[in-house]
Amino acid sequence: MTSPASRTRASEFEHQFIGRTREGARVKTGIAELDEMLRGGFMEGDAVLVAGSAGSGKTTLALQYLVNGIVKFGEPGIYLTFEQMPDQIYRDAKNFGWDLRKMEEENKFRLVCTSPDLLLESQGENLLDGVIDELHPRRIVIDSLSHLEMFVAKGDLRKEAYRLVSFRKTKGMSSLLIWEAGQMSGNSFSVTEVGLSFLVDCIVALKPVEIESAVRKALVILKMRGSDHDKQLRQFEITPAGIKIESAFSNYEGVMTGSPRRVGSEKFMEMFRGASEKHK
Amino acid sequence: MSEAQQVIATLLSSQVRGELLVLFHRNSGLVDTVDGVARRIGRTGFAIENDVRDLVKLGVLKTKKIGSSEVILLDRARDREVLETVANHIKSVNRSEQN
Repeated sequence: MTSPASRTRASEFEHQFIGRTREGARVKTGIAELDEMLRGGFMEGDAVLVAGSAGSGKTTLALQYLVNGIVKFGEPGIYLTFEQMPDQIYRDAKNFGWDLRKMEEENKFRLVCTSPDLLLESQGENLLDGVIDELHPRRIVIDSLSHLEMFVAKGDLRKEAYRLVSFRKTKGMSSLLIWEAGQMSGNSFSVTEVGLSFLVDCIVALKPVEIESAVRKALVILKMRGSDHDKQLRQFEITPAGIKIESAFSNYEGVMTGSPRRVGSEKFMEMFRGASEKHK
Repeated sequence: MSEAQQVIATLLSSQVRGELLVLFHRNSGLVDTVDGVARRIGRTGFAIENDVRDLVKLGVLKTKKIGSSEVILLDRARDREVLETVANHIKSVNRSEQN
């Protein structure tokens, strides 16, 4: 009979060298408030979709997830991008104090830049096998599925995304997939329209909202397979140190629809405050 | 001509080679076809293929088969060696000029 200690060692071996995920293990983002919302972090090996419109903070969140993985948890990571000029990613990261080039020199990080058609042709393995052998990465970011969509026949995105997600799962990597959602206001949410939502295990949506003539950023976990999670829409800011998640939009309703309004109790409180000011 | 001089001559004798080196140094994880790389520096595949071949011969770039396509990428180890060779050569030239 095997002892619990030897079972743990065996599980650790499988995790390190075969890529099998540990049951119930969490992958922390290193952003304390987000990890709290995720009840400890993403589930290990899960495919997470980060969806949002341009400028909503998707790349910052993805980079912070990788950098924290390296710095705080000793988990090497790959950032796979289809952007034309990825050197901007190094520059933008440096503005947050994240020296990606140094992490590359230390063999903890790789920024791989390629064309979506090559990734599709290689089915991932051949393209990344050298990097995977060198780094033994635990985290990967793919920026973005929206770029990939431009290179696949209409209706094939689901199939290709499924292949990508499956490949990374068999390698034991937790993947974060970026999706540029053009339509993030109003009632509809385009991630569900292209049918990606059932492929991924978790969806984090980032969304700009207009409140009292100012644009604020909101984050919500729309789905997390096999785990409880915070359902509230939380305000966040991009600070010089990265993403900082703040309180929920508790005084507003209809924030997801793009036309938030104050809840009745808040209106009442404001009237009450106004009246008491007059009496002073 | 010394090895260092040959390397420097290969690196500096064409503008395209210079552009390719800058591109791959700024984006050391770039993996793309000749056409894809050419697009990134605003040129055509035809215009850069000879220079790519020279850099592959020098060892700074390497090729790899991905499906039916051939891609080029930076050989990080060889690139470091080449940079060291160039740096040492520049140092020795400076020293001899000072003497």
